[in-house]
Amino acid sequence: MGYKITAKRDLSPIDYMIEVEAPHVARAWKPGQFVVFILHEKGERIPMSVFKAENGRVMMFIRKLGKTSLQLYYEFNVGDELYSFLGPLGRPIKIKEYGNVVFASDAVCGHAENYALLKAMKEAGNYTISVQTFEDKNHVYPEEFLAKSVADEHYLTTLDGSAGIKGHYLDVVKELIEKDKVDIIFAGGGLNNLAKLAELTRPYGIPTYATVRQIMVDGTGMCGSCRVLYDGKVKFACRDGPVFDAHKIDWEDAINRNHNRFVEQEKLAKELYLKYLKEKGVI
Amino acid sequence: MPKLIKERVPTAERPVEERVKDFKEVNLGYTWELALKEAERCLQCPKDYAPCIKGCPVHIDIPGFIGALRKYRDDPNKAVREALRIIWNDNTLPAITGRVCPQEEQCEGVCVVGKVGDPINIGKLERFVADYAREHGIDEELLCEFAEKCDGTKGKVAVVGAGPAGLTCAGELAKMGYKVTIYEALHKPGGVLVYGIPEFRLPKEILDYELKKLEKLGVEIKTDHLIGKTLTIQELLEEYDAVFIGTGAGTPKLLDIPGILLDRIYSANEFLTRINLMKAYKVPEYDTPIAVGRKVIVIGGGNTAMDAARSALRLGAEVTIAYRRGREDMSARIEEIKHAEEEGVKFMFFVQPVEFLGENGKVKAVKFEKMKPLNEKDSRGKRKIVGTGEYVTVEADTVIIAIGLEPNKIILEESGFEVNPDGTIKVDENLMTSIPGVFAGGDAIRGEATVILAMGDGKKAAKAIDEYIRKKKNN
Repeated sequence: MGYKITAKRDLSPIDYMIEVEAPHVARAWKPGQFVVFILHEKGERIPMSVFKAENGRVMMFIRKLGKTSLQLYYEFNVGDELYSFLGPLGRPIKIKEYGNVVFASDAVCGHAENYALLKAMKEAGNYTISVQTFEDKNHVYPEEFLAKSVADEHYLTTLDGSAGIKGHYLDVVKELIEKDKVDIIFAGGGLNNLAKLAELTRPYGIPTYATVRQIMVDGTGMCGSCRVLYDGKVKFACRDGPVFDAHKIDWEDAINRNHNRFVEQEKLAKELYLKYLKEKGVI
Repeated sequence: MPKLIKERVPTAERPVEERVKDFKEVNLGYTWELALKEAERCLQCPKDYAPCIKGCPVHIDIPGFIGALRKYRDDPNKAVREALRIIWNDNTLPAITGRVCPQEEQCEGVCVVGKVGDPINIGKLERFVADYAREHGIDEELLCEFAEKCDGTKGKVAVVGAGPAGLTCAGELAKMGYKVTIYEALHKPGGVLVYGIPEFRLPKEILDYELKKLEKLGVEIKTDHLIGKTLTIQELLEEYDAVFIGTGAGTPKLLDIPGILLDRIYSANEFLTRINLMKAYKVPEYDTPIAVGRKVIVIGGGNTAMDAARSALRLGAEVTIAYRRGREDMSARIEEIKHAEEEGVKFMFFVQPVEFLGENGKVKAVKFEKMKPLNEKDSRGKRKIVGTGEYVTVEADTVIIAIGLEPNKIILEESGFEVNPDGTIKVDENLMTSIPGVFAGGDAIRGEATVILAMGDGKKAAKAIDEYIRKKKNN
């Protein structure tokens, strides 16, 4: 039995939204948790953040980055089925009243998490502040996919300043801290900037939680592929995270493991697939 | 009385130079003629004495099934049918246990013939019966006899985990007339049989066949369900009359030494899952990557270490197994050690890793302390060892850690089971956990044991669950 794709839509030239019918996951999912899916029998297991899980459907944001994300984009359409869909995985974030809750994101999964968490945090009575960074105005998502509707304050930044504020979320967060507007901050997206965020908030003692993306296989604590050093101890991002106290993560190791482990194999798989798409006249 | 034949009838194996190039099964098993010849060597000890029956964790009537092969020698189909019927009384997955049981520590280890010559090759005979039956449709016929009773009317049971314990428990309950649903977290059922044990030791088509048989018994398998996350134990209890937990020992132990986060250091679970479950050795036909260098060190001395070493070898690497005790202390099956040696895996003994050295984030060497044995044993009966203060550094561009597993905590966190200090689930003599109606077996209660013990638990739990449900429904 597969899991039917119920919606699919471009978010930007490189990111897209996909919605999958998976009632067993949707009913149990909470912000902070992720899913693992497989496209087809020969596919790899892909961990993915969640934007929304409602009415038996799970909506995710995906970047066209490697073979699997390209294949999902080019060969799977509404009505098609995914081979496997597992979740929810990982620990949920504790939803309670914290005061001013900030979520900062600068990449596809982070943007999904931004909306998902702030929606729950707002419902719990917090003052929510969302900061979302995109490359440029062409890469900004349509408004309904931003965290605007669930944020009391929403800051959109682009790296080149072609839309919103010029700069990165780090710049905005710095200002928010200086204005004493941050009681707790969550963040998702590129690991390099999450590491910088941890350094930015550390001197202020602001509780800082980051989604630590790592390469996974099963996503259930079975293989240790996603291990990170947390407070000097080995933890598994899939089971103990994926959201961790950013001040306790060994970011250098986390970045190395996430970026370099299968880089040659992934490059080759992508090249082969792009060649295939060209031969078929798809691109 | 016929003369005792001391030597085993050998089984055919694929030549080394051929088999190291692929992942296909190494041992080819017996033909009917050879199986019969090996069966003739059995002394047919009386059932109440036979050491082999006592040595078997699930007490298969071994002289009985071997005797059946001899009794109906003129009709191989009948011989195998009767032999299988006898095996099935105690073990429904003989094609698997015949391949993966540590027979030398169990039935074969205590065989009377073994005192004067080679013990009877019970494992290969068991495998022969199962394989012959499968290839000739004999087990299908036998299954139909059982399947008639599988009407699913006696109650509903949920089984968590589709590994050896869960599959056995499900099969037994289905045969008793229960409607059974197995919940499996991965996308394929089988547990360690599908993600852990390589194709060259247990072809996946054998597992697939066993799963189809379960389906015929009316067992439903729901993959992509991680109990504790997708559904809780409490939710299962609301829907089912009882629950069986067979979640295994799913979390790899890693070494608490510097450098553990370096790239190309795998747990054996990750390495083998990528290869066995995800078929990374078939890239680019399959999508899951694996990166193996030219010099691989596997740390450990069990079956998993042998499986990882021989898999790495098949991916073109030079492989050394580093074990902290001596050769005779390794827990792997003798056949696996022999196969690993034949295939060119090297061994280092009495070395304990103390640090992984790296360069650019990747492992480049392992620093070991040389160990020496003491004349005393630890609580598990293994030789104690101590460090010598001498160190040796060995170059490696890939390391696989195969030092064991511990129970996966996910299911424990959400459900409130009482657990033992080692993290295993606490059960009573009927395998019931601290939550009434929830039973457990296999590595989830044992820490790390064998496929056959897990199957034994599955069977025992099925009986206990049947009693529990009947009692509950009578009240």
